[in-house]
Amino acid sequence: MERLIEFLFRPATDRWLILLRVGLGLQITLYSLSLRSDWNYLLSGTVRRIAEALLSLQSHFVPRLGWPISLGTQVGLHEETVLFVAWACLVVAGCGLLVGVACRFSAIVAWFFHLCAAKSGGFVSYGMDNFMTIGLFYLMLSPLPDQFSLDWRLRNLRPKHSQLLGFWRRVLQLHLCIIYFFSGLTKCLGSGWWDGSNVWRALIRPPFNVIDAEILVRWKYLFPMAGILICLLEFGYPFFIWSSRTRKIWLFGVCGMHFVIGVTMGLYLFSLVMIVLNVAAFGPGLFRREEKPTVLQPEAAAS
Amino acid sequence: MAWLALHLLLVVSFSCRDIFRVVAEGPTILPVSVKNFSHKSETALSTVLGQKLLASNPVREALATYVQGGGIETGYGYFAPNVPGTYRLVFELHYPDERVEYELPSIRSGAAGLRMAGLLDNIGRTSYDALREILVKTLAQSVWRDHPDVKSVRAILGSVGLPSIGEFEKGTRESYEFLYAYDFSLKNKPATPRDR
Repeated sequence: MERLIEFLFRPATDRWLILLRVGLGLQITLYSLSLRSDWNYLLSGTVRRIAEALLSLQSHFVPRLGWPISLGTQVGLHEETVLFVAWACLVVAGCGLLVGVACRFSAIVAWFFHLCAAKSGGFVSYGMDNFMTIGLFYLMLSPLPDQFSLDWRLRNLRPKHSQLLGFWRRVLQLHLCIIYFFSGLTKCLGSGWWDGSNVWRALIRPPFNVIDAEILVRWKYLFPMAGILICLLEFGYPFFIWSSRTRKIWLFGVCGMHFVIGVTMGLYLFSLVMIVLNVAAFGPGLFRREEKPTVLQPEAAAS
Repeated sequence: MAWLALHLLLVVSFSCRDIFRVVAEGPTILPVSVKNFSHKSETALSTVLGQKLLASNPVREALATYVQGGGIETGYGYFAPNVPGTYRLVFELHYPDERVEYELPSIRSGAAGLRMAGLLDNIGRTSYDALREILVKTLAQSVWRDHPDVKSVRAILGSVGLPSIGEFEKGTRESYEFLYAYDFSLKNKPATPRDR
C-alpha cells in the first residue's frame, strides 16, 4: 500500500502541466479556427437537436449547446448568434490557456464549450474530440497555474495544491497506458493489421486519402511491417513506457506514429492532441532528471 | 485514491465492453466459438455499468454524466479490428427545365470534411430508417438552400468498397454499391437557414 501511495503521489515539477496547458491551448485554438466557416452548419438545426435528444436518453445533465441556445432564445438571441458566442468563448479560452491567463477558468470554459460542441455534434464527432475531452478534464482538475503562465509571472498566483502535481501526472500516464493497451489489443484481433491490408485501407479510405494510391502501392512491401509495428507500439505501450531504458524508444515511436498519421491521413488535430498528451505525460525528465519540485507551501511540506 | 480507483475501473470497463462488442460482432482472428462468450460478457458489463437501467434512473444518469464529462464513455478501438469501408451521399438535383445536376454535401474546410465523413458513416451504419431519413433530409435541405430553383432532390446513399492492393494493381478502383435513395420535393418554400 505504501509503495502504491508513493507511486501515485510522487512529487513532481510542473513541467508536464506547462506542456499540457500550452499544448491543449494550441489544440483548442486550432480546433476552433479550423471549424470557423462550418461551425454553424455542423452544429445548428435538426442534426444538433437529434443528437441532443439521443444524449438525453443517457443523461439530461451532460453539457450541450442546447443549454446556452435556450438561454439565448429567452433574451431574444438567435441560434446562430449563440453558436458564434460559444465559438468565440472557445477561441478566447484556447488563447488564455496558451499564454496562461486565468488558467483554471480558461480550462473550465474550454472543457465546457468543447464538450457542448462534441455532444451536440454527436453525429459529426470523432476520436479526437474524446481525447480533447480527456485532456481538458485532467487539465481543469490539475493544480494550476504553472510557472510559465502569465498568472504566475504577472499576477503572482500560485497553485493551492501543488503537492498533487505528481498525482495528476500519474492519472494521465495511467489513462494513456489503458488507451494504448486496448487500442493495440483491438487492432491485434484484426487480421488486416498483421498482413498490412488495414494500413493500405486506412490510407486510401476517403477522406484520409491524402496520398495518391498510385504512389502508395509502390510502398506495399512496407505495409505488413507498419501494421505489426503499430500493434506492437500500442499494445506494448504500458509495458515499455515506464522503464527508463525503453521509454525514449516508445515515446519517440508513438509520437512518430501520430506524426505520420497526421501527415499521411490529414488528421493533423488528432495527431497534435495525441502528441501533446504523450509528451506531457512522459516527456519531462526524458533527457535529464527533473529538478527537485519547487516547494510552494512550506508549511505543507514541513508537516 | 478511491476516486482514482473508480475512475480507472470505469475506463477499463468501457474499454472491455467495447472490445467484447468488437469480438461479438466480428470478424476477428479469434475462433467463432468466442463470439457467444463475448456477447454475454458485453451484456453483463453493460448491465454492471448501468446501461440497462431505465433512462430516468438517477444512478445511470449520474454515471453517464460523469463518463461523458471525462471523455471515457467509449473504448479506444479506432480503425480496429479492421478498417471499415465508407459511405457516399450524392444529391441528384432536378430542375424545372428537366436539367439534372449532381452535388455532394458541401463543406468549406478540411477539418469539417473529416466530420462530414463521420456523419455519412453514421447515416450509413444506423439501423434506424427514420433517423437515416431525417439526417439525409437535413443535408438535402442545405443543398436546396444553395440551389433554390430546384424542383426536386433525390439523395442516393451508397457504400464505397475499397480495393485490396492486389486488386488495385490489376486496375480495380473503389466500387460503389447502392444502398438507399430518398426523394424530396418542394411543397412549400425552400428550407430557411434556421432549419439547418
